[in-house]
Formats: sequence, structure tokens, C-alpha cells
Amino acid sequence: MKVLWSWLLELCDLDRQPTVEEGAKALTRGGLEIEGMTNLGGGFSGVVVAEVVGKQPHPQADKLTLVDVITEKGGAATQVVCGAPNVPEPGRKVLWAQIGATLPGGLTLAAKPVKGIVSPGMLCAEDELGLGTDHAGIIVLPEDDRTALGAPAQQALGLDDWMLEINAPANRGDVLGHLGVARELCAVLRGKLVPPDLDLAEYVDRGGPAVEIAIANSESCPRYSARFLTGIRIGPSPARIAQRLKGVGVRPISNIVDVTNYVMFELGQPLHAFDADTLTTGVVRISHASDGERFVTLDGVERSLVKGDLMIRDGQTGIALAGVMGGRDTEVTDKTTRVLLESASFAPVLIRRTARRLALHSEASLRFGRGVDPELAAMASARAARLMCQLGGARVQGELFDAYPGKQSPVSISVRMPRVRMVAGVPLDAATCSDALSRLQFTVTGTGDVLDVTPPSARADVSREVDVIEEVLRIVGYEHVPSTVPVLRQPPGVRPRDRGDAARIALAAAGLSEAITYGFQSAERGAALGLAGSDRRSQPITVKNPMSQDQAVMRTSLLPNLLAAVARNASHGRHDVSIAEVGNVFLRRGEGVAEREIHQLADEPIWAACVLAGDRPAQLGPSGAWDVFDAKSFAQVAIRAVAGDVEIKTRATQSVPYLHPGVAGELSVGGNVVGWFGEVHPAVRKRLGVEARVFAFDLDLTKLPLAEPAQMRAIPRFPGSARDVSLLLAESIPAGRVEEVIAAVGEKLVTAVRLLEDYRDAKLGDGMKSMLWSILYRSPERTLTDAEVDKAHEGIVARLVENLPAHRR
Amino acid sequence: MDLSAQLDAIETEATAAIAAAASEQDARALHAKYKSELATAMKAMGKLPPGERPAMGQRANKAKDALEKAFEGYLGGLREAAEAADLARVVDVTLPARPAPRGHLHLLTQVRLEAVQIFSELGFVVADGPQIETDWHTFEALAIPRDHPARDMQDTFYLSDEIVLRTHTSPVQVRTMLTQAPPIRIVAPGHVYRRDDDPTHSPMFTQIEGLAVDEGISFADLKGVLIHFVSRFFQKDLTVRLRPSYFPFVEPGAEVDMQCSFCGGSGCRLCKGTGWVEIGGAGVVDPDVFAHCKIDSEKYTGFAFGMGLERMAMLRHGVNDIKFYYEGDVRFLEQF
Repeated sequence: MKVLWSWLLELCDLDRQPTVEEGAKALTRGGLEIEGMTNLGGGFSGVVVAEVVGKQPHPQADKLTLVDVITEKGGAATQVVCGAPNVPEPGRKVLWAQIGATLPGGLTLAAKPVKGIVSPGMLCAEDELGLGTDHAGIIVLPEDDRTALGAPAQQALGLDDWMLEINAPANRGDVLGHLGVARELCAVLRGKLVPPDLDLAEYVDRGGPAVEIAIANSESCPRYSARFLTGIRIGPSPARIAQRLKGVGVRPISNIVDVTNYVMFELGQPLHAFDADTLTTGVVRISHASDGERFVTLDGVERSLVKGDLMIRDGQTGIALAGVMGGRDTEVTDKTTRVLLESASFAPVLIRRTARRLALHSEASLRFGRGVDPELAAMASARAARLMCQLGGARVQGELFDAYPGKQSPVSISVRMPRVRMVAGVPLDAATCSDALSRLQFTVTGTGDVLDVTPPSARADVSREVDVIEEVLRIVGYEHVPSTVPVLRQPPGVRPRDRGDAARIALAAAGLSEAITYGFQSAERGAALGLAGSDRRSQPITVKNPMSQDQAVMRTSLLPNLLAAVARNASHGRHDVSIAEVGNVFLRRGEGVAEREIHQLADEPIWAACVLAGDRPAQLGPSGAWDVFDAKSFAQVAIRAVAGDVEIKTRATQSVPYLHPGVAGELSVGGNVVGWFGEVHPAVRKRLGVEARVFAFDLDLTKLPLAEPAQMRAIPRFPGSARDVSLLLAESIPAGRVEEVIAAVGEKLVTAVRLLEDYRDAKLGDGMKSMLWSILYRSPERTLTDAEVDKAHEGIVARLVENLPAHRR
Repeated sequence: MDLSAQLDAIETEATAAIAAAASEQDARALHAKYKSELATAMKAMGKLPPGERPAMGQRANKAKDALEKAFEGYLGGLREAAEAADLARVVDVTLPARPAPRGHLHLLTQVRLEAVQIFSELGFVVADGPQIETDWHTFEALAIPRDHPARDMQDTFYLSDEIVLRTHTSPVQVRTMLTQAPPIRIVAPGHVYRRDDDPTHSPMFTQIEGLAVDEGISFADLKGVLIHFVSRFFQKDLTVRLRPSYFPFVEPGAEVDMQCSFCGGSGCRLCKGTGWVEIGGAGVVDPDVFAHCKIDSEKYTGFAFGMGLERMAMLRHGVNDIKFYYEGDVRFLEQF
């Protein structure tokens, strides 16, 4: 909501006139946030009011005039060169941008010759001061202009003013007019509100036509008032009105329409003027639209209505969409001489719904949508009528026709002083509270422990004790609230370790950088993994109203966004990327997987994933590319961070569609598959714009058991003995199989099994490889003899040879 | 040659030869050789008259000691030479370090963990809730019915008519109050979503919500907790200004401003010259919210606050565009 500082001050009686900064500070302190302050005349400087005292043609150019101007009565004249066709006769005032003046766009004027004659500055046209687009001629002030010669041009133009942009709270419809803001300013600064002049005595003619007002539902329309004005001469508004409207961002149209806008900004009451000669029935009916009813609004658009829309009708014919927009056929035009002036109040919910549905957000619907005080209607009607008479030559015809079926009597609120002190944490007394409330025009009775408080009709937002407490506190000032710390009366609760954070911290310690990406993504990005239709992850939850296609579906995997990040990094030359993300994915719950909408909450398991592209960090030069075993290692780091020192089983898999079929592993813990690692399938990464190989893991951390505290194992007291065995075996036998066979022997002395060499060479024979394994034997009770170790070792080797099968080399 | 002269000769020859040995191996060979020569000479001892034997025994021992000393001395010399040679090594220590694994927790994770830590010192425990929420938990229970103008302040992503992406972490308040009796003291960090996208707004961002409910909780307690948080988080003695504002689920409600951490309040570009920067919203829990959550608002009062973690990180670390947090650009991630 835009307010003008001069307009505000007009409505306040203050002991001392505050500066605009003081005013802004006071309003902010009271709870009206000032989002911006604009000096309306700040666009230019050094332009002054000057009087023309003589003019003659330029000797060298037909179209130029030499104008003599003065900036004080009787002062010496200065000759300025002017190219405009409308240089006025002596005695009229113009705006002279002197040497050193700055104009919008940053131009600073210097003396310069124009066709051989040096001009000390220039006389300004509208566009040169940034006031409009008119360049047809220079600005000539009206004959009756009273601005002193030499005064800044801003004074003559009504621009020595500030516009304050107020962020009105959603529950404060009352501050959507200057009067409401002035009420706040007066409350904070202890001033007195000066209501605008409403006196119609000299403008009213008795008699005239009558209008019957029929309100179908008093909840939809608590009050509707209307009055006739006649003898109107449509024309432009005077500069003062037009300037104020421009200042608050409204384009001046004509005196009658401008008055309705002016009063709306002044009092907060939207008004509508119908051309009375287009009305035929003498009955104004306020009733709901019927579904499918059609109505042409004054912007010429035919609208299709629904039952919830509220209509103003002339008899049965719709003439306005209540509170939102008037109708084309009853609009005020240049030829209008009589108007019916509407000043009413409508149910905020209805107006908001209609405005939202039709995307017709106007200054009127904004106000009605927040709630307009029904008590304001008569006041605004009188104010607007007075201004129409003054500015448009109108006469008021007869009385105000006022239907007010929704009149509410004021309700008082009991406010308990001990409760005030408890909620606020401030030792306030009744007198302080009464004072604060009466400054806001609340009525307060009682002085003891209970006050009876009645808010003014404009303050429908105040209906409960706690609302009153806030009012008191904001006028007393939040800064007077002390700061204390609440007493802890019982121990805080205990919460299990956070899986996500455990994984995040471990992965970062292992060398990965954590990324956080959006919870949604484009449908294409989600589909890039190529998941089967039977996979829950292939049916993402869709967002009904995304802002862009990049927010179309909720993610079901962390990998697409991470792969996209690899592509993005590569696009600016960074090819070595090692990042991890730990976060929620969103899965449909239960049945209805293929439905467009979800009707219940989703499952939000927490996953961890990493992507590795390019090379590992190196000391000097290239250090080798990341490979699948790095991905496996990071996966193990994440699992162990959550689940502790559990056994992690690895199995080669070809059934993960987003991993390379020959370079993919499945990880299980305690018999549950918890995730996968491998090389990202080339087709998948290409779909996401990644050129180079990427290795990755993704894990469902919710499937992992939470680690119990680790228990200390005894430090071995006796030395162990290692024995190596070199095996020749088929290439197709995975290392994991060798480990399984060793484990299956069940030899208790085996303490550690390490693969020292995995060697492949054509010389070994077709499809064969050689592996060198080292097995450590140890007993916790004694030092083993060579014979014992050899016996155990030979037993294992024999089983390997037989079960794998393999040859001993 | 008598035995004594013989021993003298061996001793003289051995010490000279060992001292001049060309290598450790030669020295060992010489050591062995003279040891055996001495042993041979000693065999002649038995032929001496008994009266001469003790003196000759002493003489022999002296020769043996001399041999050992010479050998030890030689070895010692070698060790010293090796040590000296080792100390003469020079490495260019200005070569780059071998990279140790150095990962980075996301700046928002660091800020979140730190914020949680600070609040936990005041007895707040972490609570969470789903990001995909019901309209009821997100709005209705927080006194924001469907046609309430406050809904316009938070443009919502809908998944269905009744299911939304939560627009704030406040539904966690509701979930907590519905399942836990007062006293309650929780802090709830998490992602939230709003239809908003510009340099200071991201369609997904991170809030941290706080809620305290107990007998006698006041607005002053809210102020104390926030001031402590801000001072701890910024490691500076910064004050907090509560400014009256409207959120349907708190009354009295406040916008939370903190003294500008950059200029200390004197006014700069960051705070647009005001000396204050906005960090969140707060207030005393509205009785209507208590009613939805079946908490007796006559017996209990509470306060709640919500802050944007991106904003806190921006203020402390000078991040100038919110989109950096979510792009996965390693040039950003590796800075923190």
C-alpha cells in the first residue's frame, strides 16, 4: 500500500511535525513495515521556478526563442535558449534547469552554445523531468500558481513529497487507506486524528429520484449505500488530485472516477460510480450470480460467473461484479452527467475468491478482500460526494439510500491484567494499558485487574484478550519487553541418532563434498534413470502447480540431480567432481501408484548417494581416474557411519537399469539389500548431459539398522602367522566367491583374509586368472606352532582347489 | 719374539689396519682375523711359568680391549658418517602437499548443525515432520483457513487439493503438540517450498522452527532465546529487535530483526542503511492453535519462531545469491 507523506500529515494533528524518517520509524515500530521510501521529486535537482519577462526570436534559427527569465521579482533577467513552440507571454512561470542541474538519467547541465548563443541551462518539458512522455512543449505553470520564484520546481509540481510503501499485515484492512495509517501514526506519536471534511450542506438539493436497495444475504453484503449526484461536468482533475493519484500509482482518468479512487486511498473505502442514466429500474439488488451467468466487465471482457460471485444488479440486470469490477454498460463516460455513487461493504472471502478465480486483482478487491469497515460506507460516500461537487460541478440529489442489515453492535473484551503481564513478561499496570489502547481509539472502562475494552469498528482484527495484549504491547513498544530465558522444568527429550547427519559427516570426512539439490525436478530428469514401471521410483508424485517444468515431479532418487550437477560443473570446465547428497526422496504410499494426484502423505525415506567423475585429487599432475572401487568404498563409509561395523555383502548385479551391467554391485546388510554402486550406465548419463564416465552409489539409509555403541574387542596378545596361496582359476569366479569358500571352512584361527594380487594374462590360459591371497592365522590363547598353522592353511587351500575350483600355483 | 712383544705387534697392527679399513665388511674381516691371532697367541700362555701368567693375562686383555675399541670406533665412525649424510639431505618443501581427503559439509548443513547445537544448550530437542504435508497441518491447524488472506503470503505448491509441499516448518509444531504434552521445547530444521524464485528467494529453502510450551512462558522469554541465539551464532554481541507483525498462528506476533552483523548497526548496503536485517518471524502461540492441538491455553502459554537458514548463512558468509546453495557447483561447495 502506497501512502504519501503530505497526505498523511494532513490527517494528523501532531505537536511537532516529524520528518519523514521519524514518521517511517514510528510506523515501523508500531508494526507497519515500510518496504520502501521514494522521494517523488528525487529524479532531478537544480530546476527552479522562473518567470518569463521577455522573448525574442533567435537570430540564427527560426524555431528557437531567446527567453528572458527572472528568479526573483525585480532581479536581473537571464537569457535562455528554448526550442519549444509554446514559450508563454511574459508574466507566466516556467521551470528552468540551471547550470549544474541534474536530470533523470544522470545528465548534468553545462553552459553550451545553441546556434552561436550560449544558453545557461534550459527550460524543461515534462519528459525531461521524467514526469511523462510529453515533449510537445515546455511546462508552463497555471496562471494561478502561487509558488515563489526561485523555489525548487518540485514545489510547483507537488513533488516535494515522499511516497512510503507500507507492507500492510494481512489482517489489517484498516490500514489500506491514509486515514488508517494516520490513526497508527497518531497512536505512536500521541497525536490527534483529523478526519477529512464531509460537510455536504451547501451541495444538497432536496427531492430527486429514489432507489430501493435489496440485499439478498446480509452476510454477503452487510451494508450497501448509494446516492445520486447530478449536473456533473466530466473533465480532468485538478493538478493536486492528479499528482496525488500518480504518487500512489494510479493513473488519473477524469474528475469523477478520480474522486472515487482518491477517497479509496484516503479512507480505505472503495467506491463505484454508475452512470445513473444507464440504470432503469430504480432497484439496486445485491445477490449471488448463477452458475454460467455471463457479464461484461468495464475492461470489455465477457466473464463467466459462478454461484459464489456476488453481483450488483439494476433490477435483474448485472451492473457490477461486487467489490471486484464494474460493468461496461453502466460505466461513467465523457457524456455522463448523473451518477449513482455506491459505497458498500462485502464479505471478504467472496471477494477474494472471485478476484482470484478471475485473476482480477484491483485496488478495490484488495481492500474488500481484507475487509472494509461497514461503518466507513456513509463517511466515504459523503466525502466523495463533496469532492465531486467541488471538482466536477455536481449537486447531491436527495439523501443517502442506506441498507445496513449487517450492523454489528460493538462487543467489549475482558482483559485480565495478570494475564497481560504473564503473556508479555512485562510488569504493565492498568493505566499504561488504558493509555495505549485509547491512543488507538479503543474504549476502555475499569481500572483494576480487569479492563473492559471495546475496539473501534475499523479494528475487526481485535476480538480476543490476546489480540488486545498485542495492541497494548506494540504501542508500549516491543523494545520495552525485557529479555529472559525460560526455566527448564524437565529434562529435554532424547532423540535417536540422525542417520542422515551420520552419513553426511562421514562422507565429508572421507573426502566428498556435500551437495543439496531440490526436492523436485523435471519429469524428464526423473525418467532418465530408466526405471521399470514396477519400480515405485518410476512413478513420481507430480506437483499440480509448478512454476516451471523443472519443478514438475518430486524426486524419487538422488542421482538425477547429482548427475545434472556433474554436467553443470563440466559445462564450466570442472571435470573432476566428487559430490554426495544425503536427503529425502518421495515415494507414493500404497495403492494408486499410477494416479495423477496423491491423496495421502508420501513415504520420505532418507537416501545417500554420490557421484564421482574425472580424476582423484592429485599432488602433482594426474593421479588417476576415480573408479568403481572408490564408489564402493564411499558406500561402505556411509553404511558404517549409520550401522556401525556390520558385515556388508557385495554381489554383482545386472538388474539396476541406471548402472553399467558389467560394473554394478548390490550391497546388503543383514540380508536386506540397502543399495547399489557401480558405473553409471552410459545411456543414462548421456540423457542427463554427462559426457564422461561417472561412478556412483545410492543407498536407502532407512533400511540400515542404527549402530549400537561399539564394544571393545581384546587386543591380540599373541603374534599371528600369515600364509599365502597363489591360485589359478577361471576369470568368471569373483573374488567374493573365494572369500565365501574360505569363510565356509569355518576355521577359527583365520583372523584376516587379504587379496594381494589379481593378475590376468593370456599366458595363463584362455579365460583364466591368477590370484594371490594372504591369510592370517592367530589364536587368542597362545602362540601357534608352524605345524598348527600349516595344517589349518592346507585345509583351506584344499577346499579352495576343490570348491572354486582352482589350481594351486 | 716373546709373547709380550708378539701381543704388542698384533695390537699395533690390528688398530692401524681396522682404522684404515675400506668398508664395514673389511673391518669385520680384520676384526675376526686379529681376534683369532690373539687367540692363537694366547694359547702360548700355558707354557709360561705360573708366576708370569697373571701379568701376561692382563697384557693380553689390554690387547683384546684395544682391538674391540678400534672396531667399535670404526663402526661408530661409519654411523656418524651415515647420520651426517642423512642430515645433508635437502627436500623442496615448497612442493605441493599430497592431498589428504578433504570433503566439505554443505554450508547449510554446517549452519543447521550449529543452530541445533545452540538451541540444544537451551534445552531444545530436534523434532521433524514430513515435507509432503496435509493442508490441515500446514494451514488450518495454524489458524490459516482456506480463504485467509495470509495464504496469499505463501504461495503454495499443491500435490492434490489436500496435500501440499509444506510452506514452512510450522506443521512440525502441530505434530509435536498433538503427540506430546507440555512442557515442550523443540527445534525443527527442514526444507520448505514456496512458489518464489529470485536472488533472495528459492522455491525450496530451509527453515528452523522453534517452539516452547509450558506454564508461564512469555514474550520476554522469546526475546531472550533469540538474542542468545544470534549472539552465539555470529560470535558477536548483537541485539535483536522484535517488530510488531502478523502471522496468524502467533499473537502477539513479531518480525525478528537483528543488528546488522556486517556494519554492527551503523548502516551499510547489506542492511540498506537501516542497521537491521530481517531474519525471521516469531510470537506467542495463538490460543486458536492450542485449541486445534488440544492444549489448554489458560494453563499453558508458548512461543514459536522460524528463521531461514539460507539467510543466516548469507549474513555470516556473504553468500550473495540463494541459488548457489542448490546448484551443486563444486566451486561453491568447496569453499566452506
